[in-house]
Amino acid sequence: MPIQSDERPIDRWVDGLPKTSFFEFVAARILVPFWAWWTPVKPLPGGPHPSFQRGDNVQCMMNLVMPLKDKSPVGRTLAALAIAQNKDAIYAGLNNVGTVHFARFVIVNDNICMFSVYDGDFTNYIRDFIATIGSVFNAVVGLVEDGEKVIPCEQNVEAFIQWVHERDLYQVPDTATDFLRDQEALNGDEAVSPVNDDLTLLPRKLILQLRANANVSLGNGYRAYPGFSAAQVRERLGLGW
Amino acid sequence: MVDESVAKQLVQVIIDNLPEPVPGRRPVHTIGMGVKGKFVASDVARTYCIAEHFNGQPVEVSMRFSNGMGGLKQHDGWSDVRGMAVRFHLSDGTASDLIATTLGEFFVRNVEDFFEFSKVAKLQPYQRRHWLLKILDYLQLKVPPRNPNPNETESIDAGVLGYADRHRFSQLGIFQVGQIGAPESYARASYHAVHTFWVTAPDGVRRPVRFSWQPVAGVRNIDAEDVSRDKYLFNELEDRLKRWPARFMLMMTIGEEGDALDDPTKPWPGTRLRVAMGTLTLIEVAKNQDEDGERISFNPNRLAPGIEPSDDPILKARLGAYEVSREMRGGCPFKWRQDNAHTK
Repeated sequence: MPIQSDERPIDRWVDGLPKTSFFEFVAARILVPFWAWWTPVKPLPGGPHPSFQRGDNVQCMMNLVMPLKDKSPVGRTLAALAIAQNKDAIYAGLNNVGTVHFARFVIVNDNICMFSVYDGDFTNYIRDFIATIGSVFNAVVGLVEDGEKVIPCEQNVEAFIQWVHERDLYQVPDTATDFLRDQEALNGDEAVSPVNDDLTLLPRKLILQLRANANVSLGNGYRAYPGFSAAQVRERLGLGW
Repeated sequence: MVDESVAKQLVQVIIDNLPEPVPGRRPVHTIGMGVKGKFVASDVARTYCIAEHFNGQPVEVSMRFSNGMGGLKQHDGWSDVRGMAVRFHLSDGTASDLIATTLGEFFVRNVEDFFEFSKVAKLQPYQRRHWLLKILDYLQLKVPPRNPNPNETESIDAGVLGYADRHRFSQLGIFQVGQIGAPESYARASYHAVHTFWVTAPDGVRRPVRFSWQPVAGVRNIDAEDVSRDKYLFNELEDRLKRWPARFMLMMTIGEEGDALDDPTKPWPGTRLRVAMGTLTLIEVAKNQDEDGERISFNPNRLAPGIEPSDDPILKARLGAYEVSREMRGGCPFKWRQDNAHTK
């Protein structure tokens, strides 16, 4: 049977409209600000979801994005030096804390970022690091906007943990509908079937969340060997402690 | 086991929703092809499950790839769920089946949900959305409904979306169906068995697990705009297997306390232990397609000793529904193991 099409030139033009720079301009300057004003959204909190389940409490992700005070090559260089000068302290901390799979410091534009994968509770992870490499945190956080409020971190432990948590990126779930569930939980919406949702609003909800939360982690990490702690990996590889 | 009359009703509501029922054929996944292959378990598989096909010896396999839609019209290029039903042939003449689709999660939790879904997911006239309404969608930052596929005049989309709006448990599965696309090859898609099964290890430890097939060639869909390609998947696989065998890895995810064991609408987190259970090698397209592509009948509850079904109500319902469907279309019965409590 020959393929019939009712597509007219105006349909083709409208289908391609979202990819035009005109629409991108209108969306960025008018539509998104309008809907953000009309239907405001709260930024979703960062870090992993609290969980009692073992598998969720190993290989947790922390993604800190910290704006530098000095937004110039000099400021970025100072941040790079702060890490390089503390290399021994970082290794000593990693080996002693024992719950970290890896930690990375990355400069992206005018931000210094710390990305790490750790086992166990977030607050204990930060607490352990304060105890072992507090001096490194002090050196880095001293270069970051609003960082002076929480250093020296050894004397501001709880405030420092909260400061870090507020800068830990929201981890957008792997499934789009879990993102909706996160928003509903934040808004106290625990409705069960039947409900009156509108799934076609999913794109707008995601757009507005990414406006409120400009930096996010996409997913909570894709693991090659999920479920194993750093201690188990070291033990099974015969690396000692 | 679900009552036989309920099993018949399940099959009937599926048939009633078809545009053109095809007596003597599967009501859904009608278009499919049989393939022959071998499965070899990984070195660690036997430590997790005592089932014969996980003991490391090569096992003969019959499988059937399919398009999800019911009816004889073949639309390979349309966005649709694809199926991969696998039969592991065991040494005593019985078998263990593993039925998977490209859908990661199902959209109903139980038989009652399914009947309600079937009432609303009816075929309705489907037209291109007027361009003015599309612009209105854009202004609201919504994505307009998809354009009709070539020659598509009816669709269940509106009813399905309405069901998803009312039932949050269904939203993930239905959202996935909307995004699923068309694979470049049956051998380039991931297939998920959706339900939870219990496997028994040699030390007697029982673990809840979910199985997925992952293509060694990688996952790849065709361009979403390329919907007019109606028939390419059979030839593609035939040509592919003439050149070189295609392979899938069988991955087994182990659930934890608190995971949804009896609800196929709920995913398990990506943080669960994932074990490579073995490699399936597709060797050739079956020569007798009537026997190995059509009359062959699978059942997700046909399991080797060492694997048991969970209490998932949908899994239980599929036991009877698949047998009813087989009888209605004159499918080939297959031997069940003697001690299978779920045997009819």
